[in-house]
Amino acid sequence: MTAKESKKFNFAQAYADLQKTVEWFEKGEVDLEEGIKKFEDGLKLVDELKKYLQTVENKVKQIKEKMTAGSERPDEKDSLF
Amino acid sequence: MTIFSVSEYIKFINDSLAALVPYNDLAIEGEVAGFKVSQSKWVWFDLKDKDGLISCFMVAWDLKVPLADGMKIRVLGVPRLYQKTGKFSVTVKAIELLGEGALKKAYELLKKKLLEEGLFASERKRPLPRFPQRIALITSPEAAAYTDFLRILNNRWGGVEVDLLPVAVQGMGAPGEIVAAFHWLNQHSNDYDVCVLTRGGGNLEDLQAFNDETVVRAVYGSKVPVVCGVGHERDETLCDFAADVRASTPSNAAERVVPNREEVFGELEFMAEQLESDLLLRVGEARQKVESAFDLLEHRLAGPLENCREVLKKFETQFNNFVFQLDKKKTGVETLERLFAGLNPRRLLERGYGLVRGSSGLIRSAKDVDTGDKIMIELSRGQIDAEVLKTHL
Repeated sequence: MTAKESKKFNFAQAYADLQKTVEWFEKGEVDLEEGIKKFEDGLKLVDELKKYLQTVENKVKQIKEKMTAGSERPDEKDSLF
Repeated sequence: MTIFSVSEYIKFINDSLAALVPYNDLAIEGEVAGFKVSQSKWVWFDLKDKDGLISCFMVAWDLKVPLADGMKIRVLGVPRLYQKTGKFSVTVKAIELLGEGALKKAYELLKKKLLEEGLFASERKRPLPRFPQRIALITSPEAAAYTDFLRILNNRWGGVEVDLLPVAVQGMGAPGEIVAAFHWLNQHSNDYDVCVLTRGGGNLEDLQAFNDETVVRAVYGSKVPVVCGVGHERDETLCDFAADVRASTPSNAAERVVPNREEVFGELEFMAEQLESDLLLRVGEARQKVESAFDLLEHRLAGPLENCREVLKKFETQFNNFVFQLDKKKTGVETLERLFAGLNPRRLLERGYGLVRGSSGLIRSAKDVDTGDKIMIELSRGQIDAEVLKTHL
């Protein structure tokens, strides 16, 4: 992961973490102390995720590089005729 | 006079033709006849109109569209005389199919071929990431599709980076540009989560590039999952089938590629509520556990406790009984004592009675003595020795 990516908020990862937390609660035996901590972490995730949703802008840029497709061509056989 | 040998003459004609005929600017339009492919490498066909016919030749590699007799086409090619036979032929470099008929036929042929090859198999369709961060967009920046796509994208979601790979989306140059864009994308595939290939509506000729075999193969071979949205709802192109996800229009492509932030917001609210209610549930459960543990303890002790109480009660009862009995006995004894005390002859003596004893013991009757007997009278205090003077009966 580049430095730029690790600073940027990864929505997909945070969302997955939140889902995991919800599943943990539904699983059954829950240690109360751990449960309270996970609950607080979960709410924090919800906040961060909601904040991301406020983002309105998408960044659009055009690739200026020249693009070529690599390809091979067999030679013509003029001597057929 | 200039004199040429046959070979020199042929070369001369060919050079002249090459100089005269602008290969890229002059296309020949006609109908295909006598189409045949030899050894999968060499392609021959005649191109004809009402009055004329020329021979065409090309390498199978350059044949990018399926040809069949009767199709109307346009070709770009180089005219030449063949060295060995003097035969005139056009070496074809590019072909454009004309008219719905030709295009439809080519479409059906290619669709069948690629279907059999497995390019449209549903097993290989890759899932799209739900929250992409970088999108590669292959389309024409001048097309309405471009603005439509971006508008819907912005309405639905934010925070993504969209990189536009500009290409022509129709015309003879389009397939080459699109293939080149996919080639570039594959080289940078780690930088993108998903690719969108899109263009707006048009007739079959306009959409031709998206039925081009090289383009379809490029879509199939993309290392990044592809969402293809071409034309209107009803339009279907072979790229749609080869893509991982088929969108009906450019706007629909935006809907398939990012989620709706309102929906996700709702999901977050729901999950937060779930967390809260789950936590309360767990706290309730914990409390329950403690309570039931107490209950159990109480219950477990109840038996022995009850036993103890019963034993105690029994003991108390028996003890009380014992005390009662004791009392009774005491009372009995006291009563007896009193009685006994009452029966004490000495009491009688205190009342003035005397005990008269003779030689044979206590005298109760006057008959027991005779006059002159010696008697002893025991009194409460002391005793009197006496003699009988007279008896009365």
